[in-house]
Amino acid sequence: MMTNRDIAEYTLDALKKAGADHAQCIVSTGKTDEFNIDGGDFSLLRTLFNSSITIKALIDGKKGIISANRLDMESIDKAVKECIAAAESSVSDEAESIAPRIKNENFVAGVLEPDRDKLFDRLKEYLADVKNNYPKIILEQLVSKYVYSESVFMNTNGVEFTYTCGNYDLSSMFSAHEGEKSSSFNGYYTKFDSLDGKLIDIGMQRTLFAESEMQIDTKPFPGKTVGKVIITPACLYDMLMIAFGNFISDSTIIDKTSPWISMLGNQVASEKLTVYSKPLDERVVCGERFTGEGFMSENMAIIEKGVLKNFMLSNYGSRKTGFPRALNLSHNLFVEPGDMSLDELVRNVERGIIMNRFSGGQPSINGDFSGVAKNSFLIENGEITHALSETMVSGNLAAMLNNIIGISAETVCDGITVLPYILFDGITISGR
Amino acid sequence: MLEDKISKFKSLLKNHTELRAQVNTTRRVTLLNGNLVNNIRSDVSGVSARMYRNGVYGFASSAEYTDEKIKAVLAAAEENAKFMDTHINKNKPMFQPARTGKKELQYTVRDVEQKVFIDFAKEIDAYISRKYPDLASRTIAVFSDSMEKLLVVSDGFDSHSLIPRSYVYLFMSARANDGTTVELFRPVGGFGYFNENFTDPANLYETIDNLYDNLMKKAEGVYCEAGYKDVVMHPNLAGILAHEAVGHTVEADLVLGGSVAAHNLGKQVASELVTMVDFAHTALGKTVPLPVYVDDEGIPAEDAVLIKDGILVGYMNNRETAHHFGMEPQGNARAFLFSDEPLIRMRNTAILPGKDKLEDMIAAIDDGYYLTDTNNGQADTTGEFMFGVCMGYEIKKGKLGRAIRDTTISGVAFEMLKTVDMLSDDMVWSSSGFCGKKQPMPVGMGGPAVKCKVNIGGR
Repeated sequence: MMTNRDIAEYTLDALKKAGADHAQCIVSTGKTDEFNIDGGDFSLLRTLFNSSITIKALIDGKKGIISANRLDMESIDKAVKECIAAAESSVSDEAESIAPRIKNENFVAGVLEPDRDKLFDRLKEYLADVKNNYPKIILEQLVSKYVYSESVFMNTNGVEFTYTCGNYDLSSMFSAHEGEKSSSFNGYYTKFDSLDGKLIDIGMQRTLFAESEMQIDTKPFPGKTVGKVIITPACLYDMLMIAFGNFISDSTIIDKTSPWISMLGNQVASEKLTVYSKPLDERVVCGERFTGEGFMSENMAIIEKGVLKNFMLSNYGSRKTGFPRALNLSHNLFVEPGDMSLDELVRNVERGIIMNRFSGGQPSINGDFSGVAKNSFLIENGEITHALSETMVSGNLAAMLNNIIGISAETVCDGITVLPYILFDGITISGR
Repeated sequence: MLEDKISKFKSLLKNHTELRAQVNTTRRVTLLNGNLVNNIRSDVSGVSARMYRNGVYGFASSAEYTDEKIKAVLAAAEENAKFMDTHINKNKPMFQPARTGKKELQYTVRDVEQKVFIDFAKEIDAYISRKYPDLASRTIAVFSDSMEKLLVVSDGFDSHSLIPRSYVYLFMSARANDGTTVELFRPVGGFGYFNENFTDPANLYETIDNLYDNLMKKAEGVYCEAGYKDVVMHPNLAGILAHEAVGHTVEADLVLGGSVAAHNLGKQVASELVTMVDFAHTALGKTVPLPVYVDDEGIPAEDAVLIKDGILVGYMNNRETAHHFGMEPQGNARAFLFSDEPLIRMRNTAILPGKDKLEDMIAAIDDGYYLTDTNNGQADTTGEFMFGVCMGYEIKKGKLGRAIRDTTISGVAFEMLKTVDMLSDDMVWSSSGFCGKKQPMPVGMGGPAVKCKVNIGGR
């Protein structure tokens, strides 16, 4: 039986023989065991025997990419043929390349010997914990799984990485109910590599369950104001990724529409803000070890004390624009904590909101956004008063990052990110 | 075309078991300012089995599609079902038996060479760059996907199905006088393989010119005034209204999870003008954008009437929830990949047309907005929904005014639908996106222009 490495080697050899100047290949195999809970009850156990292959060929600077999931010789030969045909039909681009060989390495991370029965027991305990401690919560859906994978990356420059990893995860969607009244739904996702502790204690799940129970009775935000919004760790990742997607990613840097196109090395945010992408941090479970383009991943500063340190560019985006490539493309965001407590942040708000989830339209490239503040509370005179419904927020993401009043000392780790609470000013809040 | 290696295992299927072989194909070509940033073909295929046992399911899948692996996934699905049954002990009865039969393939499986997509995208790109050199950016994304399934079930309909669709997405952005960048996009396409829907790039030139004109208007546009407003939604928005605002809340699994629809069956939830249906394969005498004839639990697909004359009359079910609610399953259980289990999904969800003319609807508003294009949407189990609006106009004293910039509208479905007082007599379908639940899924959505009241975000 061929190993992943044998398959990758065979594929690269076939691509070269078929006319590729350069080629790369990622082969993965693995297994997933997944428990599903619907409406608070176990409903399904799902086992997947996974396999995948992605190959890229360059011919005279022309690129073709094929992705498939069968690893038998006949399927590989077909994929190679289609990849060459796709490349031959493509458009030549000097920015296309494959990674140079610097240092090959074999990586191992996470849990390689899963304990399915213990995961099941922990999930049963989780259901009991929710029922006993948060009786108004209904777990609309909960999916928890163990994922094991073995991957190999190889290219025709001699780059070779392998990565063997295994982790558990849990994804929940829940709401609180009382009679015919209910809260908005909320959700949480976390990755973990140990079953030693209760699953409900990971990340900010207890906070979100407790808050959902308080969100059964809501009122719209009274009137309209330009004011302060505390964005919680549960919501901060989405807001930052929307901003970074618009301001520092391949598409808007390549087409030069990013408002931060000339801001590398300059102040783009409040000096209170420092953001890293750290796939190698020990708190990240099975973080990225090499990029899809074949570069070994390193931790990277994105914004340090408000100064833009790096774009999140692929190697292609880098060669296309002349700006440095990102040292990782993992999106394991870490925001440095501040020196205020969450309580102090709340006390700083005369009239504003604390927002746990943003449900909004696709923001404009310039960062203008508007949407509904979900799972959120009104703050009046420094105190959280009541849960909100039908409350909209709007503003500009670039302006918002420059208008930070404070960052909490408390942070939340979900196995993917480590994020604090941030108090922003200058956001339009309107009710019905 | 998928080779049938599963029918011979039909006699081995126990309890309620589904055995499904499937291939999903995706072809994607993206030109960003003339640079070919995407040139990808993907084929994902394999076989899966799901077995029901006393109220729980076991599922297993494998990419390898051989007799040996089919036996292995059947055994693994049974083992998983046993594990769950033994440990959970729900002891629920088997759901109602289904009609049996077989549905043959309705459409021919084909493939289109990557060169066809690339050449088409290049011609479109050349037209835009030549005619509109002042654009800040242009992106042409050519996309095609297909989902072919062979299904064999222990009880119900076996089937061989195929849903191909193909789209060209046109994105343009321009610098506005205030220094900001505005963008607009439009999807063009529908059911069918790429070379069936797109024979000549020149057929898209009028759409491109119209998109550019709208973008220029948007560049000079104004921000909406935030608040609770009278609006007319173009038919482009009615589909997402049907899907997001109501559709998700009446999926029976979400009803069991406590959605707002749980307490509203048989009640007035909308103006009497509103009738809403999740169509299976044919609507108003025509084939819908993404026809479903048999679902992935082996149920022949029928239309699910959700709201009739303003009254909530039904949910969308799978076999298990239909049994729970005492309803008939109508073919809403669908899986995205071979390795996915069927979930309750919408198919082609639409608000039915009314009797009004669009111009009369606009003329009936003194101060509000005409919203013409949307770029995303999200629903809540409470019925609170939002969707992004990327093009529209002010309405002042019954006449269209200035274009507007991007905004978001929101409302609570069963309150907002009661404010519907006019529906246009035409209907527009779309099927260009994916609905996200646990799995993505192509869905169709449609409707007429709708006059109602919503919250609108703005400055």
